[in-house]
This record gives sequence, C-alpha cells and structure tokens, in this order.
Amino acid sequence: MTMRDHGEMLSTLARADAGRIKAFAETLIDDLGEITVVESRTGLVMLPMRDTAGGTAFHLGEVLVSEAHISQGGTIGYGMRRGRDLEAAMAMALIDLAAACGSGADACAAFCAQEAAAQAEQDRQTLRRVEATRVDMETF
Amino acid sequence: MAYVATRGGERAIAQSERLFREAMGQIDMTRVAELKAALPYLVDRVMGEASLYDEDLAALALAQTGGELYEAVLVLRAWRTTQPRLGVGAVVEQGTLFTHRRISAAFKDIPGGQVLGPTLDYSHRVLETDVLAGKPFAPPLVDPATAPAPAYQPSVSAWQAANDLVDLPLSDKVAGEAIADVTREPLLFPSKRAHTLQSLARAETGSVLALGYAAMRGYGQAHPTVNELRLAEAEVMVKHPNGTAFSAGRVKVSQAEVVSKQGEKLGLGFAATFGWNEVKCISAATLDLNAKGAPKGSATEEEFFLYHTEGVEASGFCIHFKLPHYVTFQSSLDAMRDAKAKQVKEPAE
Repeated sequence: MTMRDHGEMLSTLARADAGRIKAFAETLIDDLGEITVVESRTGLVMLPMRDTAGGTAFHLGEVLVSEAHISQGGTIGYGMRRGRDLEAAMAMALIDLAAACGSGADACAAFCAQEAAAQAEQDRQTLRRVEATRVDMETF
Repeated sequence: MAYVATRGGERAIAQSERLFREAMGQIDMTRVAELKAALPYLVDRVMGEASLYDEDLAALALAQTGGELYEAVLVLRAWRTTQPRLGVGAVVEQGTLFTHRRISAAFKDIPGGQVLGPTLDYSHRVLETDVLAGKPFAPPLVDPATAPAPAYQPSVSAWQAANDLVDLPLSDKVAGEAIADVTREPLLFPSKRAHTLQSLARAETGSVLALGYAAMRGYGQAHPTVNELRLAEAEVMVKHPNGTAFSAGRVKVSQAEVVSKQGEKLGLGFAATFGWNEVKCISAATLDLNAKGAPKGSATEEEFFLYHTEGVEASGFCIHFKLPHYVTFQSSLDAMRDAKAKQVKEPAE
C-alpha cells in the first residue's frame, strides 16, 4: 500500500459510521491474535489555519479526538477520530493493523471502499443542495 | 480596621447552587442531543469562544449552565485543561476548505461564483407564532441542483493578487509546535500576528461586534467591504506514527476577508473562527483591517480590542465585583467621613 493509499484509507476510517466500523472491526479480532494496546485515550489536536491577509499560520483552537495505538509483533495499528468515541478509534486501529498484517487486507479494502463511496455520495448530496443556492446575477 | 475572617455562608452557597440547577432539572443525553440538533449556531458560537471543538461537550455545557454563555464557555475552557495535547494538525489552507457558503460584496463575478449556502440574510423576519398554538412549523426542503457545487475554492484575495489589486505576503513556513500560541505564552504588545488572530478566533462574539461596529461607524481609519465571507468545513490533518498524513475528521469554520482602499492597492483584514459565526468574523476582520496605526486607547488599537474581547477574562472581572469588597469599600467610607470631619473642623473662610 502506498502512503497516499494508506492516508486515504485512514481518512475514510476516521469519518466512517461509528456503528459500522465497530461491527466490522469485531470480525477481525479473532484472526489478529494477541495485541498490545500502547494508547487508548481522548486528547486534543490544535488546529492552525492560514491567514490570507498576512500569510501567517495561527491557531483556531483545539479539536477533541480519540486515539488508539496498538501493536502486534512490530506492526502498528493506529486510529484517531474526531469526538470521544474510544471504541470507534480502537476499531479504526484494528482495521489499520489487519490491513498492515495482510491477513485481513482484502476485507479491509472492501470495507473502506464501501465507506468511501458512502462518504462521497454524502458529500455529493450536500454539494447539490449548496449548488441550489448559487446566484445567477443579471446586470440590467 | 483590619481584615476579618468570617464564616457562615456554606449552607447558603450550597443551596444557591441547587436553586440555580433546579431550574434546569435533570440533564441527560436526550437533552444534549436535542440542544445539538436544535441550536447548531449557538453550539458553534460556544465552541469558537471556548476554542474547543466538540459539539457534544458544547451542548452539554449549554445544558448545564442553562444557556448562561459566559459560564458555558468557562466550563468548557476548564474541561479543556484536563486533556493532553496530542499534537498540532497541518495548517488549513483556503483551497482545501469544503465550502458551503462563499460570497463577496466587493466583486459580483468572483471565480467560482457567489454561493449563498445556508443563510437567513434575505428572509422575512417573521416569528412563527402558530407553533405556540400547536401548529408545527415545517419549512420547505431544498430542491437540490442536478450537479454538485465545486467543493473547493481559492480565497478571493488570491485572485485579486493575481490581478495586482492586493499585495499578499508569502506564507510563513512556521508549522506545528513552532506556531505562537496564546494559551501557552503571554499576550505581549505589539502582538505577534499569530497571537492576534488566535485571540480574535476565541474572542467573545458580542464584544468583537461592539468594537468592530465602532470601527464601521467611523471610529476607525478604514471602512470595510466584505471581500469574501466563507462558511466551510476544514479537515483536521494529523499523522500516523509511520508518518502517513490523514484526516481525523472535519470541523466547521468561518472566515472573512475585508478590504478597503489603501493608496493604489487594497488593504486586507482577516479573521476566522471555529463554527459558523459570520458576525464575529466580519467584525474581527474589520478590527484587523483598522489595527495598523490606530491611536492609543482607541477601539481599533490592538491592545485595546484584544484585552476587551477576551470573554472569560472580561466576564470574570465583571462578576468578581459581586464578591465581598467590605474592607475596601469600608476604607472608602472612612476616607469620605474623614474628609467631611476635616471640613467641619476647618470651615472654609
């Protein structure tokens, strides 16, 4: 998996429906064997933004996230999602680990593709509603 | 006269807190969910001023404080300090904002066009009183367009710079922990630009409006025109331990650019905040536009507006006056009595 593919997979998992990601991660646990939990916690990510007038990066504020960091035999599984759902972050880390181990790679890819399609469709519907508010101006 | 140790208020204090909370009754997840769904703009405002993004926590803070906004922001800022900082996200660039609303009052034909998004700007302000008579208010739904709007747009100022209307400085290369942070460093003057914009991002909306409005009415040097107003969602870009960049989710942000003529070019003011809060961004950007060269002690002077728009400090200072000042007030009375007695002893000739 390329770094870009990996990034897209993680972004999809971070935004995936909490119920579905937990249910899917459950199906991977038996095959993964013994796992070490390095971190399972909530915390904050400071979010900076670019100021278009001065070119300066400045902080907007902090975003609450849930983080899960697990490992198995030197392979890392990692999850970070907005909000305080530690189980969903752990589910993300389990999928990341399963995809990296290779054992559940195909199932993980299929799950991610399904979630990515749902997210793309959700964005499309949002933007169709936004487009309805476009102003067609006419100068007299 | 001396400091006097007193006791006896414990019961009254405990009961007064009960009296306050009794009015709101039991708070459960249903109430938090209802507040989040019913009052998204209020939730946004509280998240922005608390500089903590989480809708559930903001709705809970509103529920717990009965909508006393200063208390809601304070309890969120206090909670924020219990959490570790796990990192700093990548800098959000304008071209990566998932855009819901983008308008310009300066140019009709901005690249990408004018997209109104969600707004009450052009609506009749009519209170739906039938609801109180038992008839639900069910607003008509949007008729979606066939094709989606473009998700991403550059800033209007970038287009103006390409047309030689504004001079835009190059973006700084500061990132991560190196970005100045007012929650970890004192605010000193002249303020670092990163401190100014962060302070405005977490400033109290009403205070920013009051001072921004003063500038708009003429107590400033520059009259603003809204170059760009945008409501959007920003990706929170973080890193996997192996270095892969990914988005941990999206957060709602607002940003405003305002312009005024400065010599042969346009001068720009900028502001942004968490959540969708247009009035705050336009007002804050107006203050930014007016700050350069503002007279000492004026509403548009940086030190003046940054100190006076920090809601937690301002409300805290205001409410501290409710606390017992018996000793200091008594000393004022003593001074008044002394002055009076002196006048009696030494009548004016």
